[in-house]
Amino acid sequence: MLMRSRLSGAVALAAAVTLALSACGSGGASGGDGKTFTVWWYEDAGNPQDAAWQDALKDFQAAHPDVKVKFERKVWQQIQDAGAMILNSNDVPDLLEYNKGNATAGAVSAKGLLTDLTAEAAKQGWDKTAGSALTVGTYDSKGLMGPGKVYGIPSYGEYVSFAYNKDMFAKYGVTVPTTMDQLVAAFETFKAKGITPLAESAGDYPAQHLLWGLAVAKADRNWLNGYFGLKAPLDTSAASPLTQAAQTLADWTAKGYIDKKSTGLKAEDAWDQFRSGKAPITYAGTWMVGDFKEKIKSFQWGQFLMPGSGISAGSGGNIWVVPTKAGNKDLAYDFIKLTMDTKRQNLMANAGGVALAADPAAVTDPVGKQVNETFAKLASSDGLGLYGDWPVPNFYQVIFSNTQTLVGGSQTPAQFMEQLKKPYDQVQSSVG
Amino acid sequence: MSTAPLSHAARKGYLRYLAPGALGFAVVVLVPFVMNIAISFTAWSGIGTPTFTGLDNYQRLIHDEMFWSAFAHSIWFIVAMAIVPTALALVLAAGLFDYLEPRFGPRVSSALRAGFYLPQVLPVAVAGIVWSWILTPYGALNGVLQKVGIADPPNWLGDTSWAMPSVMLVLVWMQLGYGLVIFMAGMARIDPQFHEAAELDGASWLTRFRHVTVPQMRPEIFVVLLTTTIAALKVFGPVFVLTKGGPGDATNVPSYYSYSNFFGNLQVGYGSAIATALTVVVIALTVVFIKIQSKAEGA
Repeated sequence: MLMRSRLSGAVALAAAVTLALSACGSGGASGGDGKTFTVWWYEDAGNPQDAAWQDALKDFQAAHPDVKVKFERKVWQQIQDAGAMILNSNDVPDLLEYNKGNATAGAVSAKGLLTDLTAEAAKQGWDKTAGSALTVGTYDSKGLMGPGKVYGIPSYGEYVSFAYNKDMFAKYGVTVPTTMDQLVAAFETFKAKGITPLAESAGDYPAQHLLWGLAVAKADRNWLNGYFGLKAPLDTSAASPLTQAAQTLADWTAKGYIDKKSTGLKAEDAWDQFRSGKAPITYAGTWMVGDFKEKIKSFQWGQFLMPGSGISAGSGGNIWVVPTKAGNKDLAYDFIKLTMDTKRQNLMANAGGVALAADPAAVTDPVGKQVNETFAKLASSDGLGLYGDWPVPNFYQVIFSNTQTLVGGSQTPAQFMEQLKKPYDQVQSSVG
Repeated sequence: MSTAPLSHAARKGYLRYLAPGALGFAVVVLVPFVMNIAISFTAWSGIGTPTFTGLDNYQRLIHDEMFWSAFAHSIWFIVAMAIVPTALALVLAAGLFDYLEPRFGPRVSSALRAGFYLPQVLPVAVAGIVWSWILTPYGALNGVLQKVGIADPPNWLGDTSWAMPSVMLVLVWMQLGYGLVIFMAGMARIDPQFHEAAELDGASWLTRFRHVTVPQMRPEIFVVLLTTTIAALKVFGPVFVLTKGGPGDATNVPSYYSYSNFFGNLQVGYGSAIATALTVVVIALTVVFIKIQSKAEGA
């Protein structure tokens, strides 16, 4: 019977921990014979990164005909939840795409589970290729992002921006906003026509990206350094960029720019409202660009950044890491090298992805051209504001669930800030 | 059946057949459970060496509002997984057994029984995802409601006040078939003479249900209530798939809270303490249930 055979989640997880523990000390599963190469990533099949890396796999196989290549596709959430346990077991791949951030890559690097790639990155020139995006792979001994050793290599970049429906903007005489007032005026215009302007999902990750986008648009680099470096307890005053962002998000929902029911919508539901032309604007990461490019056929669309300080939510992409226990590190380096070369970088850019080192002359796809130019501008002007959930373990879940109640109206911006302050200050007092 | 005590050799012979089950139990339940208790006395991120902290995690547990609110939610889950489905299943089983089967034949009643049981067979992840499509603000259910004139139907899983009733509804649907199947099997066991005698005395169906069926079904009702209550206390899958404990912590339950401490906060020691506390509650409840049952049977 289903019910009886279902162990309680907690006990099953305890069992998982036990098995992971009992696996310690025995021989590595991947072996160090140089005969198999195991690589994991979680990019969706056919997205720009996946397209480029699949191409790299082909060349890798050609260059290593006697090596058996084992590729497995994972999901982002899986690595977010169980990444540390996987790296701590002996069943590790030789190379995997890992979630950037203090709470994820930082935490496992501090526990010694990732190979220090500093020397290899310098030798291969990956530090130059990645440029400032390399920050997402660099952690200090406490696992905090920033000056330290290189544990991860990003091969792509990302930022979050508004995507807008050019046809609807033209129809209602709305021009692309460059200030916050113009953005609100645009919202008002659509609202007056009975259209909810901003497609959002607070039942999934997009709303917390919007919150962070609003925060960094009010912030400067100094505030960001303090926030990510856990320099002080969380500032919950009305002047704090995060408090202002929470207030704006609550206001936008109250005014009907964002559908209150977005608390029950998944990311895909919000993207669908935009793709189907129901909502003229959404706030989406560049990981959605390939999808929009492929699926939106009935109207023209474009992007504009959050008006404000010039800082946008965004960073280097998720990173290649080599587990300490990986058996075939040289093969892993060979593969990273392929993903960083011009062929793959151009391929990614032309598929609408954000490459780190594509040759601008070789990027002919108009969408790819725009996103790569925007990212290059953000990167060179110190305009990448990272993501708000990075400083503290489980902050992703904390911000997610509190953003959901903030948008739902059952929590005020002040209460929202208090909920964030508790876990932030707890970690800040032990690290900072 | 012979009641002679087993010889030593015969007992040894039986042991051999128990060994695989005992081994499985030890590997899957006993060893992890003991380790879980041990880990609950430590501060540990899941990697590296745990630090012994004595009863710290339990002290924190006692003062942790989130933990208590998660436990309070368990009461709603007991209503939705044990009480309501058991009561409903009893009425439905009696209806199928007494009314439908004699009139429409065993095929119709077993087809219906299989239909009610289907949600138990479906993987919870699959059923949960389908339900979340149905319950999404612009999903099937609200589409139907709008068609019949309700202009602003609820945001079922996204609204703090609607999320719990919505999850409860899904759980009633999931659990109904379990009790139904057991009760229908139980009803076949009741001596038909009881019903015939009552019928001759002019008892209506409802009176017979109350005074014959329910008292006769007591052992089955006990088993179903016990197993479903335990399932309700340790519920995880439906919450994980439907709401992830949200919005806010409106549908958070102890198992999910333990999980998020294990994997989210990387506070494996604290997560273990929650799991241990949950296990103690489940065992205590089981003992109480069995005591009451044996008392009732002895009376």
